[in-house]
Amino acid sequence: MARVLDLADIQGNILQPYGLPKARYIFLNIEDSPKGRDAGRTFVQAIRPRITSSLPWKSRKSYPQGPSGRELPPKPQVTFNIAFTFAGLVALGLPTRTLMSMPAEFIDGMAARASILGDDFLCGPDSLDAWDPIWRDTQPTRVHVMLSLNAQMKPDGTAVEDLDHETAWVVQECAKSQGRVKILTGHQPDLNLPYQDTSVLFERDSNGALQATRKEHFRLSDGFSDPAFDGQYPPETEKAAVIGGGKILPDQSWAPLATGEFLLGYPDEAQEVPVVSTPIEFARNGTFLVYRKLHQNVGSFDRYLRDQAAAYMQVAGIPDIGQAHETLQAKLVGRWSDGTPLMAAPTYNEWKAFQQRAVEAQASKDAAKIAAIEAAFIDFKYRTDPDGAKCPLTAHIRRANTRDALDPTGDSKDSQRWNGSVINNRRRILRRGLPYGQSDLLSPSDKGDHGIIFLAFCASLFRQFEFVQQQWIQYGLDFNAGNDTCPVVGNHGPEAKFVIPGDTQVGTRPFLCAGLPQFVEVRGGDYFFVPSLTGLRMIGMGTVDPT
Amino acid sequence: MPNFDGGHYYLTVIAPIAVDVVVEKNGMERAPIQMVRNALANLPTALQTKATEHIGINSPFSRNTRTHFARFAVIEDVMYNGRDPEDAVEIAVRGVNPVLPRPQDRLSCPFLLFVADFDAARGDANEVKGYLRLLWSTMEAELREVFQYCLGFEKVKDDESFARFIQRCQIETTMPFNDYWTTAPPLKSLSTLLVGVPVAGLAIGAWLARRGHSSWAGILGGALAGGIAGGILSYFIVMTQAKRPFPAAPNSDLPSVLKALYLQQHFTRLAIEAQGASDEDLYQRFAVFLEDHRPLEAAPRQSPGIIRS
Repeated sequence: MARVLDLADIQGNILQPYGLPKARYIFLNIEDSPKGRDAGRTFVQAIRPRITSSLPWKSRKSYPQGPSGRELPPKPQVTFNIAFTFAGLVALGLPTRTLMSMPAEFIDGMAARASILGDDFLCGPDSLDAWDPIWRDTQPTRVHVMLSLNAQMKPDGTAVEDLDHETAWVVQECAKSQGRVKILTGHQPDLNLPYQDTSVLFERDSNGALQATRKEHFRLSDGFSDPAFDGQYPPETEKAAVIGGGKILPDQSWAPLATGEFLLGYPDEAQEVPVVSTPIEFARNGTFLVYRKLHQNVGSFDRYLRDQAAAYMQVAGIPDIGQAHETLQAKLVGRWSDGTPLMAAPTYNEWKAFQQRAVEAQASKDAAKIAAIEAAFIDFKYRTDPDGAKCPLTAHIRRANTRDALDPTGDSKDSQRWNGSVINNRRRILRRGLPYGQSDLLSPSDKGDHGIIFLAFCASLFRQFEFVQQQWIQYGLDFNAGNDTCPVVGNHGPEAKFVIPGDTQVGTRPFLCAGLPQFVEVRGGDYFFVPSLTGLRMIGMGTVDPT
Repeated sequence: MPNFDGGHYYLTVIAPIAVDVVVEKNGMERAPIQMVRNALANLPTALQTKATEHIGINSPFSRNTRTHFARFAVIEDVMYNGRDPEDAVEIAVRGVNPVLPRPQDRLSCPFLLFVADFDAARGDANEVKGYLRLLWSTMEAELREVFQYCLGFEKVKDDESFARFIQRCQIETTMPFNDYWTTAPPLKSLSTLLVGVPVAGLAIGAWLARRGHSSWAGILGGALAGGIAGGILSYFIVMTQAKRPFPAAPNSDLPSVLKALYLQQHFTRLAIEAQGASDEDLYQRFAVFLEDHRPLEAAPRQSPGIIRS
């Protein structure tokens, strides 16, 4: 039986991305004293009525109708959400028994996990010196609370004024605490700015109007293939949503992942309830959140691809340099720059044909054709590509979401023995987040403050986010690629390389990308607990009772 | 004998650690087990990441080219797993008082565990002795530091007596882990023999009974007896064959592994540098590669104790 979740109890942006073009993150510190604790609780109580839940809005495609046929409210101008670091929960005076039942990696916080995540790689223990001051653990005031405000935008591409109004409200509430709850600064590039802003990147359409894109600063489309899990969608849309997003069963059909992979208090893919804080009423419908500020070396990325394109053109037998450049980039990522997966269009010409079909589908206004094109972005398996001739075994998307690529019995001739995505099912994360800063398309540079604020929700930071980061992004053994790391977001030492397998069917040779520069660098972040509305009420009222 | 398999010897040693003495160290009184743990904590490990390659302090086991793997651990005592589960009804019927504590297993002293996986051709005691003497000659100081508080070590004076001491403490390795056979070793199939022997036994039994002019029942009994005898023989054949060690996997001795790791890295570099090269250029580069890296010769190779590929 399909699970029905209490949408009003779950904070927004978890089940479905808001799809709002602007976001602002405000980080608070609560004074470590009994008076600070009371001030923190007062703040939580004040903020509770503003918190956005998972209840559907009018514009959401997956929810054509509200519960019991109720008229859905319109999409809000600004949403408001809250999450806490472990130090924050300590400052808010949660009982020791509740605190000690939290998972170890959450208690550690992200800076302490640097060696596991590979964040200390670039310059050893000093790597964290490159972090924005707010995230350095030498800071006397650590981040305790994260407020996420997602907002709509005006036609000129700036956020609606409500975002500043809500920010002013936070400032005002903090002022009431007489400095006991304070907004932290220390974000690059303006160290005095009390928040981190993010925004979609824009392109101008043929009429000169600004159009929001799915691109990040490498000008690659991002944010496909979010996991689909039980209870996330209403029954009428679930069946379509799980195709490409759910798990692949042994019979090769798609099914929703277990709710417990993404929300606390429910059975997960191992049919266990993951480590969860006591009491269960406090933890249920909550989850964990990763916040990572990832700087993008757009200059290095652009230069490296240009440098390699000529050699790749020759080895891969591609007719011109532009195509070689596009193809090389697609091989690194596993998707073409518009997001079309290599598994749907393995060659440049097939990609162009796919784009043509997409244009025709849009023009025909045929819903089925449009849906088929949309589905192709996420509905694929790696079974037909065991050697990576289409999508390299170590391409970014094949590492981050391995689908059925690691099926331990997938090479069996007996289809009865196949196990689908079993290895991948406990390693999924719900990705949110947006780009920050500006980068110059015409003269891309590593300098400056631009990148992506990577957000991910999962029930176990250790088993899901950290595992993917450590074993699949920063290592290659599971893909028979030794020490090779992710060509896009992995750590690249002096001998970093990336192998593009050849295609034995058509006789193309493999290509080895060597000397990969560092494309992405961490600039800070932390692990957060995202309570349910019930959990938040307990924190605010000081009534978390584990006995 | 699982101590020896696939050209590797799997040595398992447990050496008892003294409990009845107190060690003076820097004016502090210490138990031997603390000293052993301290010695182990100070024993350098192999260089397992690129970042550690520059520190210049490698595991003493890297001074020989036979050790694939070596590990020390202190076994303080057996772990108590709690009381055996009991059935309340059964206890009541048997009149057992559940309040009384049950016996708990304990070791008489802590043990130092030493396991090593090294190259061996035959796997006999003399080969083990040879390996232990090699260790003594290359890492005597470290071995003394680690083993000095073990009972019986006081008699160790030289390589001979060290080998004797270790071999006295050796226990059978019951589950070795041989990672080098990536495919099935070329073993002869026993299927025909296993079926053939009981069938032959059946036939011989029947034939003998027939020669003895037995009745049909007698012949049937003879066949049955012959078949059973054949089955038992088959069982012993299987058990005997199963105890024979696998042959060594090709190139699975440490020098070959180190050479392979070396070649893998340098060949990858060649493949990267020669991408898109003309046939002539490729030919030249490969000639230089052969000259520099000598694939068929032992040297140059990766140094022992450096874990990298």
